[in-house]
Amino acid sequence: MRRSAKLRKDALAVTFTLPAMIPLTLFWFIPLGYILYLSFTSWDFMSPEKVFVGLENYRYLFDNPAFYEAIKVTFLFCAGSVLPSMAGGLVLALLLNRPMRAAGLYRTLMFLPWVTPMVAVSIVWSWIFEPEVGLANTVLQAFGAEAIGWLQDPKWALAGVLIVTIWKSIGWAMVFYLVALQNVPAELLEAADLDGASGWDKLVRITLPLLSPTTFFLFIVQTIGALQAYDQINVLTQGGPSGSTRTLLYMYYQSAFESFNIGEASSVAVVLVISCLLLSLASSFVSRRSIHY
Amino acid sequence: MVTTKSTQLWETAGKVLRHAALLVIALAMAFPFYWMATSALKTNDEIWSFPPVLWPASPQWQQYAEAWMEAPFWRYMANSTGVALAIIILQTINSAMMAYAVTHMKFRLQRLFSGAILLGFMIPATAVYLPSYVVLSRLHLLDSYAGLILSNGVSVFAIFLIRQAFLQVSYELVEAGQIDGASHFRILWTILVPLTRPSFAVLALITFIDQYNNYFWPSLITKSPELQLVSAGLRSFFVEGGAYGLKWPLIMAASAFTIAPLLVLFLLMQKTIMNSFNLSAGAAKG
Repeated sequence: MRRSAKLRKDALAVTFTLPAMIPLTLFWFIPLGYILYLSFTSWDFMSPEKVFVGLENYRYLFDNPAFYEAIKVTFLFCAGSVLPSMAGGLVLALLLNRPMRAAGLYRTLMFLPWVTPMVAVSIVWSWIFEPEVGLANTVLQAFGAEAIGWLQDPKWALAGVLIVTIWKSIGWAMVFYLVALQNVPAELLEAADLDGASGWDKLVRITLPLLSPTTFFLFIVQTIGALQAYDQINVLTQGGPSGSTRTLLYMYYQSAFESFNIGEASSVAVVLVISCLLLSLASSFVSRRSIHY
Repeated sequence: MVTTKSTQLWETAGKVLRHAALLVIALAMAFPFYWMATSALKTNDEIWSFPPVLWPASPQWQQYAEAWMEAPFWRYMANSTGVALAIIILQTINSAMMAYAVTHMKFRLQRLFSGAILLGFMIPATAVYLPSYVVLSRLHLLDSYAGLILSNGVSVFAIFLIRQAFLQVSYELVEAGQIDGASHFRILWTILVPLTRPSFAVLALITFIDQYNNYFWPSLITKSPELQLVSAGLRSFFVEGGAYGLKWPLIMAASAFTIAPLLVLFLLMQKTIMNSFNLSAGAAKG
């Protein structure tokens, strides 16, 4: 009797989880196992048979110079987008964090890019980066510099994509820092004032350490986001010119959906999944241990 | 006396500098939007003139209408809006039920389900698009509204957000409901959801923005032009209709009216969006 009541209770609870668990299983958990399996096979999407090849895809991948190039681009893309947008967001938040006129207006204008679709704004930026009469080159030339092939020159293309990425995410980081700054206890800063601390001392000794959970959170979330960046690369450069903006994710996309090399694509995806898992694990590990409020 | 006067002077100078810096940065950040809206009004001569024209001599307003007619943008925008709304409804229901189960129903396997959510949080969605595509094709849902909606019908972030809100609701309230003989289903929808309405508002708004802007996955799983969402539609207009940048004014006009609904939504709902930062920072920590 009691046992069946308990069982009924369990069954009811599981029923409550099903509307979420069914799609989660179909589109997250099964694919996760499936991609691991596919990475051990050779398949072209069309043929009915998937040939098991063991570690062949990985061996090929680790011998492929394009893979190392993609890792380098991914690293540059992550570091080059995450660090500047965090630093910029912090500076803007510090500038805005006091009662002042028009603060709301500034905040709104800086936050606007985050709300808008990446594809549409990337198209706008490709017009700004237009090599002949685009705004970016006009500004450069006004300062006496040479025009740049923003999206055409392998030396500059990544910088162009990074500018768009930073522009879009800086306001997002800023708002997170603003929320965190409002939670810095005023008494601490007042006490430091009484002790005669300078503004810089207060920033370095009190404010920044108190912001460290936010800094860490932003770093992890933005890095995981950067590892998955696709829209702006697809619109602006499609991974080119000559692979200079081909990240691991873009390499995965191209080998899966352009050259139908499913095995190779899957092995790249597995590398990506592992990177994200490590980042997430590091985040839960660190936030449990060394970040103090 | 003298020192206070000079510190006052310093303070004013600091204030002015701060405003100047913020104003310059804010305008620079917003400038691409101005550039988009005004480039749409330029004649072909003005578009290619050097140095660029800041404001066209005679604004070509009809170019907005022209761009609107050149591709089925109303259809793209209706698709995006409809799909986003359907996804909001699905996510509201399944996040609420899942969050309720892991916060207010005591049962065996509870930890397993909490762990499953955590695992879902760690999987990079884009990395599993390939196998998800295969799953969707096995379900015969490629290139359909049902596929667009169902495959986006669950969000781990949404579950986290609601779970965090439900944790703040006291157990006594739920127990009181049970003593009154209310079912779990009733307690969830008549007690918990109304109490945590701000979190659901945030969920709806963030999901709408995400889904309206969604590009990568929808463009993979739809091929028919009439099923395209707004970003994919805009991008194919850019590549084909705009012949890769030969018709910049029309491309800018099209970009402007696809962005416009989001700008309006943002300006109207700014409070809710800003509130989402408090909540999502909390959800991420939990």
